[in-house]
Amino acid sequence: MQIYLPIAELSVNIFLLLGLGAGVGFLSGMFGVGGGFLMTPLLMFIGIPPAVAVSTEANQIVASSASGALAHWRRRTLDAKMGGLLLVGGASGSIFGVQLFAFLRSLGQIDLIISLSYVGFLGIIGGLMFFESARAIWRRSRNTGRTPGSGAGRRRRTWIDSLPFKMRFPRSGLYISVIPPVAIGFFVGTLAAIMGVGGGFVMVPAMIYILRMPTNVVVGTSLFQILFVTALTTFLQAGQNQTVDVVLAMLLTVGGVIGAQFGARAGRHIKAEELRALLAFMVLAVCLKLGWDLVITPADMFVVLPHGEEGH
Amino acid sequence: MLAALVLALALQGQPVQSLPQEAPGIVAALTHETVEIREDFAGQELILYGATRGLTIRDEIVVVLRGPGRDLRVMRKERNFGIWINSAPLEFDEVPSYYAIATSLPLNEIATPEELANSGIGLPATLAITAAPTIEATARDVSPYLAAIARSGERNNLYASAQRGVEVLDGGLFRASLSLPPLTPVGNYVAEVYLFRDGRVIASRSARLRVEKAGLERLIFEFAHDWPWFYGLFCVVLAMLAGYVANVAFSRR
Repeated sequence: MQIYLPIAELSVNIFLLLGLGAGVGFLSGMFGVGGGFLMTPLLMFIGIPPAVAVSTEANQIVASSASGALAHWRRRTLDAKMGGLLLVGGASGSIFGVQLFAFLRSLGQIDLIISLSYVGFLGIIGGLMFFESARAIWRRSRNTGRTPGSGAGRRRRTWIDSLPFKMRFPRSGLYISVIPPVAIGFFVGTLAAIMGVGGGFVMVPAMIYILRMPTNVVVGTSLFQILFVTALTTFLQAGQNQTVDVVLAMLLTVGGVIGAQFGARAGRHIKAEELRALLAFMVLAVCLKLGWDLVITPADMFVVLPHGEEGH
Repeated sequence: MLAALVLALALQGQPVQSLPQEAPGIVAALTHETVEIREDFAGQELILYGATRGLTIRDEIVVVLRGPGRDLRVMRKERNFGIWINSAPLEFDEVPSYYAIATSLPLNEIATPEELANSGIGLPATLAITAAPTIEATARDVSPYLAAIARSGERNNLYASAQRGVEVLDGGLFRASLSLPPLTPVGNYVAEVYLFRDGRVIASRSARLRVEKAGLERLIFEFAHDWPWFYGLFCVVLAMLAGYVANVAFSRR
């Protein structure tokens, strides 16, 4: 059954969209990631214009992160103060990203920048995750019985501690400068606008390794920030570029919500480090596919793009 | 008698102008005056009916349907540092977003390329006309760019040609079928019918067609374009609501 998408202006099989939503939702439920980094390239692959894919995916992430953030809010595993600060950076990053996106689109280079950002970020994150999980699996198989000591021992002082404008974060038990959270937020907000992702795959490692937040509040706080940054991105893309397709977003959301429930159940039967290794493989696969497309000789040496009036 | 009846049906909605008795003439009407794109739109077939006066064995018929003009930017991919980058852009204004041609004989057997270029019939001639300002402005060879536009249109079934797509019936009547693909752009379309004799156009007529979004599609599209900020807010609230519902529905289990 075909459905015509009013903003993307093309006709797509409705079950393909529900299936995509469910498939990516399953993986995101299983791995606890947003799935934007999978969905946006897939949408472009089935012919959705890049501008519409990126903006619409931001809209879908609003729904999935709202559901996740609420659950963490109830369990009190969410540092709202830290989230608010990340959000200040994220909001300005999002505003900047949307402008940058419109500018790159006017140059005809948006596809290249999206692909390059994906290859770069997915390559780095996937590679790091892969080595980390491989080491964890190897260590467990040797069965040394050593516990990874994240809580054990005093944290070392780093350059982060020497920055000014310090603030207390009771829920995270931190007393640090406001500069790193705002900077991280800005960076992730920009990525979210350009790549059509929530940015959790950058934010979570940054919170753990740079801000040294306790892991139990990391996911909730990240979802909190993602919720509001993607909401702002959606609002700006819709207002400025008219590229948010609400029909597409809702179909993906319905599929995604259902898929995520099954994914979360499936994820419970797999060990954490194996799950991370699988996720790393998936991230690297998407990275390689996009990288491959950049280097192979294209079938058509010319590309025809709409010009003039933005968003048709 | 039957032919006259069919003719009368075919001409419904299209005022028939009285032409001088002997002069060859052509009239045409489409089965639709508007095509509505609704949520289940997946392309549509259109039939163009027409009648000719004074059709002889030497005459051929050409039917052209062209869509609204779009401004395009065409770029050539070049390898830089191992990756392919879009470069050398050229801009073309008012390129037809849709172009279908149906003929009673292969087009090259109906008229010479020069004659077609003069009357602007056929995709190469049409693209050459739209490219004229670009050719003036640049010193580059634009022909590979025009070929790229043609390929891109054909890939999406927006440019199509049907040799012998015009069926000549008895009594000077004819029928052509044209198909609108799923990617059909909205806007004003013009259908033109040409009567060729000895490789020259001796009569022509045009009919209009409007492709527009209708129903829910139109509502959403107009909402998104006329009140973009309000629409953005609506999308965000809807998504948050969906997230809330999902959270409540699944956390109770």
